[in-house]
Amino acid sequence: MFKREMKINFKNFIIWTSILIALFLVVFLVYPSIVNSDNMQMMDEMMKMFPEEMLKAFNMDISSIDSAFGWLKTEGFVFVLLITGIYSGILGSSILLKEESDKTIEYLNSMPVTRKSIVINKITCGLLYIILMVATIGIFNFVGLSLSGEFNKKLYILLSITSIFSSIVIFAVCLFLSTFTHKTKKTLGISLGIVFASYFLKIISEMGESTEFLKYISIFTLADIRNVIVNITINPLVVALAVAITIIFIILTIIRYEKKELV
Amino acid sequence: MKNVIEIQNLTKYYGKIKGVENLSLKLEEGEIFGFIGPNGAGKSTTIRSIMNLINKTSGKVLIENKEFNKDDIEIKEKIGYLPSEIYLYDDLTVKEMLDYHESFYKKDIHERRVELVKRLELDEKKKIEDLSLGNLKKLGIILAFMHEPKILILDEPTSGLDPIMQNVFYDLLKEERTKGNTIFYSTHILSEVSKICDRVGIIKDGNLIKVEKIEELSKKSLTFVTITSEQVKEIVKDLKVNIISEDENTIKFGNNLPHDELIKKLSKYKIDRILIEEATLEDMFMHYYK
Repeated sequence: MFKREMKINFKNFIIWTSILIALFLVVFLVYPSIVNSDNMQMMDEMMKMFPEEMLKAFNMDISSIDSAFGWLKTEGFVFVLLITGIYSGILGSSILLKEESDKTIEYLNSMPVTRKSIVINKITCGLLYIILMVATIGIFNFVGLSLSGEFNKKLYILLSITSIFSSIVIFAVCLFLSTFTHKTKKTLGISLGIVFASYFLKIISEMGESTEFLKYISIFTLADIRNVIVNITINPLVVALAVAITIIFIILTIIRYEKKELV
Repeated sequence: MKNVIEIQNLTKYYGKIKGVENLSLKLEEGEIFGFIGPNGAGKSTTIRSIMNLINKTSGKVLIENKEFNKDDIEIKEKIGYLPSEIYLYDDLTVKEMLDYHESFYKKDIHERRVELVKRLELDEKKKIEDLSLGNLKKLGIILAFMHEPKILILDEPTSGLDPIMQNVFYDLLKEERTKGNTIFYSTHILSEVSKICDRVGIIKDGNLIKVEKIEELSKKSLTFVTITSEQVKEIVKDLKVNIISEDENTIKFGNNLPHDELIKKLSKYKIDRILIEEATLEDMFMHYYK
């Protein structure tokens, strides 16, 4: 069952990973010419004219876009976060539900397998693909950066890892939500909504003290890029929180799936 | 004879809508039990409750005297299930689907698979999404029979099969009965039930209204006869028929007589037109259980 699950989800994995790789490939190809030109200084000057809140949203207040790594720290990782987040949301909301939506669950349920093993096989496959996606992008960018010049390798590796924490939580939350319905089209919109709402809440929370509390309801708070850039360390509390939330939602999913009517 | 399937007071409500109510039934080892009823009578609800696809409102299902719970793998291994509408993985070929099916069972079931594929004449190279309804049914039958289950739960198994394949399928069923396996056979085709089943349960509006041996049901065999004749009045008097409808010289009545006897009696009269129809399931309900 696990092998089959890996096979059917492979195509989507390739598509979403390719989107990110294509994006970064363009950056690595184009960036050297931008960095070497006189425009760069002008662009940096221009950036300083933007409101601080906006620069903060893209981490531009603590990093500069004068190199490929600089761009990665600012806009680049925002794309990684969003795309891995969207991929995880779609995966979470469909990996379990697809069998019901396609009505193949009537077959699978009649096989000598427990419902728990169905859920666990699918979750393991989903988590593995999320980690594989982050690792593939991480390795690709590592090679790209190595070819473009010097960069802080420890900071880069830590930054690459952070997107796993928000992604697995998005995956687990969407997985749990999918146990409330029988059709994937109902959950896809909700999962994308969670990703974008979370992202905007995170941006708004960084705009001032009065909105700071919003960060507590944004899943992207768990991908603490700012802290990693400033302190070159991952906050263990964030890791523990992400893992705990993921485990809780996976357990809730198993409990709900055990009781769910499958047709 | 030991009970292989025992349904005890099964009730299923979808909110306030009744699916089945208080349904109790025992299937003995080695019998083919026909489960008939019109669409929406509760046949699929009963089967889905047995298979734990839906939650029972109350009641339980015992398989070989042990309650069949969702995750009972031991019992699941003993069951072969064919749903009325088959949905399989469109991205796979027939071969890949059968390989996948084999992977769920510890015992080697490959030999039986080869035999069934040959008997049902299915092309393993075809993609599932390209299969016709009949071929998809054949694949469903192979999947249900492949692991040599002791219990077969079949929901409308012959719909979509051509007459030749229907006969191959009936032969398979008879072989299963000879092996002592038990078959729960849901259908809405009466002739099928009388041909292959040992007993029949009739379900209507979510209630099991009758369980009978096939011989008993055959005795009640019912046909509808429509006759156009100028001697209609004499025929009615002679045959003492219950008229269902009449229009001038044409009458329609329900007939319990063997056809041979009926024709002998009618041969005395001048008949312009005669139509003998097999009673539909609905007619049976109307006639016996109104």
